[in-house]
Amino acid sequence: MAVQELSARRPGVVRFIGIDFDLGALRSASPRYWAFVSLLLTVLAMGGMAYVSQLQHGGAVMAMRDNYPWGLWFVDYMYYVGLAAGGLVVYASVHLFGAKQFHPLARLAVLQAGLLVMMALLGIVTDMERPWRAIWMLLTPNPTSPFVYTGSAANIYMIVCFVDLWILITGKGGEKWAHRMTLIALPLAIYLHTTTAFVLSMNKSRELWNSAMMTPIFLTSATASGIALLLISAYIFKRLKILEFRPSMFRSLSTLLATVMIIDQFFLLVEVLTVFWPTSAKPGHVARFSLFFTGPYWFALIPVFVLGLGAFALLAPRRTRGLPAVQITASAMYVVAVYFKRYSLMAMGFAINPLGQYSPPYAPSLIEVLLALGILALGMLMMTLAAKVLPLKVPEHDEGEHAVDVDEELKALDAEASADVLAEVR
Amino acid sequence: MSDHSEELPIESGAEAPSAAHAPEAPEEPSAARPQDAVASAPEDALATTLSRRRFLEGVGAVAGMFAAGVVPALLSAAPSSAGAATGEPEAASASAEGIEKIIEEDQPINYPGKPVWYADPAGKQKWAMVIDTKACIGCRKCVYACVEENNIGRDSGFTYIQVLEMEQGEIDLETAVLDYGEGGKPDKWYLPVQCMHCAKPTCVYGCPVKATWKEPDGIVVIDYDKCIACRNCIVTCPYGARHFNWVEPDVPKAERNPKVPVEERAGVVDKCTWCIQRTRNGMTTACVQACPVGARKFGDLNDPDSEVSVLLKTRRVIRLKEEDGTEPMIWYVG
Repeated sequence: MAVQELSARRPGVVRFIGIDFDLGALRSASPRYWAFVSLLLTVLAMGGMAYVSQLQHGGAVMAMRDNYPWGLWFVDYMYYVGLAAGGLVVYASVHLFGAKQFHPLARLAVLQAGLLVMMALLGIVTDMERPWRAIWMLLTPNPTSPFVYTGSAANIYMIVCFVDLWILITGKGGEKWAHRMTLIALPLAIYLHTTTAFVLSMNKSRELWNSAMMTPIFLTSATASGIALLLISAYIFKRLKILEFRPSMFRSLSTLLATVMIIDQFFLLVEVLTVFWPTSAKPGHVARFSLFFTGPYWFALIPVFVLGLGAFALLAPRRTRGLPAVQITASAMYVVAVYFKRYSLMAMGFAINPLGQYSPPYAPSLIEVLLALGILALGMLMMTLAAKVLPLKVPEHDEGEHAVDVDEELKALDAEASADVLAEVR
Repeated sequence: MSDHSEELPIESGAEAPSAAHAPEAPEEPSAARPQDAVASAPEDALATTLSRRRFLEGVGAVAGMFAAGVVPALLSAAPSSAGAATGEPEAASASAEGIEKIIEEDQPINYPGKPVWYADPAGKQKWAMVIDTKACIGCRKCVYACVEENNIGRDSGFTYIQVLEMEQGEIDLETAVLDYGEGGKPDKWYLPVQCMHCAKPTCVYGCPVKATWKEPDGIVVIDYDKCIACRNCIVTCPYGARHFNWVEPDVPKAERNPKVPVEERAGVVDKCTWCIQRTRNGMTTACVQACPVGARKFGDLNDPDSEVSVLLKTRRVIRLKEEDGTEPMIWYVG
């Protein structure tokens, strides 16, 4: 195999569990690279200190209280889990729908998914005051609790992602196993999202969450934000000349993104209509939701609509969809919009408690923010190292027997994409 | 909101109950009782005759089981309480049947079979509480007594009992005031809310590690040494009855009740236990003892002559958020 030839030739390549870790690339890395890594390490260290402080002083250092039993960690959990699935949908479409243009993304998408789920799980672990008690989840799981399902799904999903990455890089099992892993990972991603939505929607005590619409909204906003993030990181990897992508791939990705975006916004609109429609409006629902339109929580929900619809408006026209600047802007807008959506989703359940008592908007404490930033830094650090060390680039010959046909097809797509851009420029 | 004044279809007549459901000889050793109850719960649910309503509920329960994919949903297959006004001609023996049904449904859930370490094992009782909202003056004496009895941290920021002040003429939690000043006002009315020890407790169903369960006598307890602090039970409780010890309970040494743990409760969920350390020893709860107007009644539903049994049979009562189907074991009488 080509990979083995490489390892024979280049110095600094360490072979471990069948993967060539290119440690030599780290030695030759630029000062800017190391500056970025040390910045991430600093943030990570601050997060570590925050965690120690939290373990020492207990939950009181967090801004969560009985009115907000879940805070930033839960927002991040929902958000990261969502981002993880989007990339996987793209990757799966390579195998399931023959979307060959996404093939170069495969390793990046799977690595990103695995790291994001790891970050989501770390959020839970750092929130627990006694993390070792988590062992009870395995010893005496309660089958009526949605937590058991989402917790186990996230763990299994993370493992599947890393195994999948290993299969993709080493080529063990070939195309057949790469395909099989997709068939395992895609339903698992949907299962993970469904169960995460269940944590919210399976509560009759929280009227606003107790809606069957919650699951589809979770799935669509997860997919949309995940695709958007994948698009952004693909651009970064392209800019840094680590991976190569064609303009046509970004165009296809943007088309897919715009489609999922508008479905996502539609679901949200349906939910809002149900809450406010005169024949279905319940006073409790209206009071809670109104806080998020005109009340003190407007900052949480209004950006979801503004950024979400704005991003769709940018991507919808054929003429602008091909422009890299527009693609990146719209993706960034949606990634931010979904974060606001996750926050407002959490806050909506808690803003008025089951006894009708209002509590002012939740803002995380410094410790919580440092913890969250530390986890984010850890994820980005692993991604940064992987960019240098791991062979993320999909070899050309991996594209299979029809590589030539696909190549021509893609060239035609490229021409079309650049024609659009040219038209726009004119 | 919960105020559909769903009343028990109970006709007056405290003499009605037959020996069938009366407790035989309370002195009898009760060690075998919990196991019996666990074993018989699903069978009871299935063996009941299939009236139309029960059939429909059975369908619902099957759907629920499908959704949860689990056997414990069987426990919720038991028909809902006598609270639902059905119009079926079963009023004749309603009072006897009503309470019998309530007792039947109040079964242990996720009960690990080990006794609570700081209290005696469960007896044969089925505990229940009735609160007279007409008598309640909103003085919060029950809250203070509860804080002292149960070693609630003085700066923990919560109390087991929350008294809601409401305007006359409405029962609307959205406009209820929790932090009204000292003492009640004569032109308002007061609704004390605490853990309802529901027959179908969402907190017990929601706990991922079975760290909270329902005892054979109906008390919902928490294992402080097992709680993983996920706080899902706080989220899922419709009565806001559960609280988290964000700090270790700060109780002055001199004021500590030696019968209730303190340090173990740091960083875990906490709630009313119906003073398990008192009630299992033949005493009543601290809140009942402290109430200056006798608005609170606590007792055993198995005993047909207990205050709660008589009140349920003779008075019109409501349960908070009955539409949520949690079947709380605290009734309000007005």
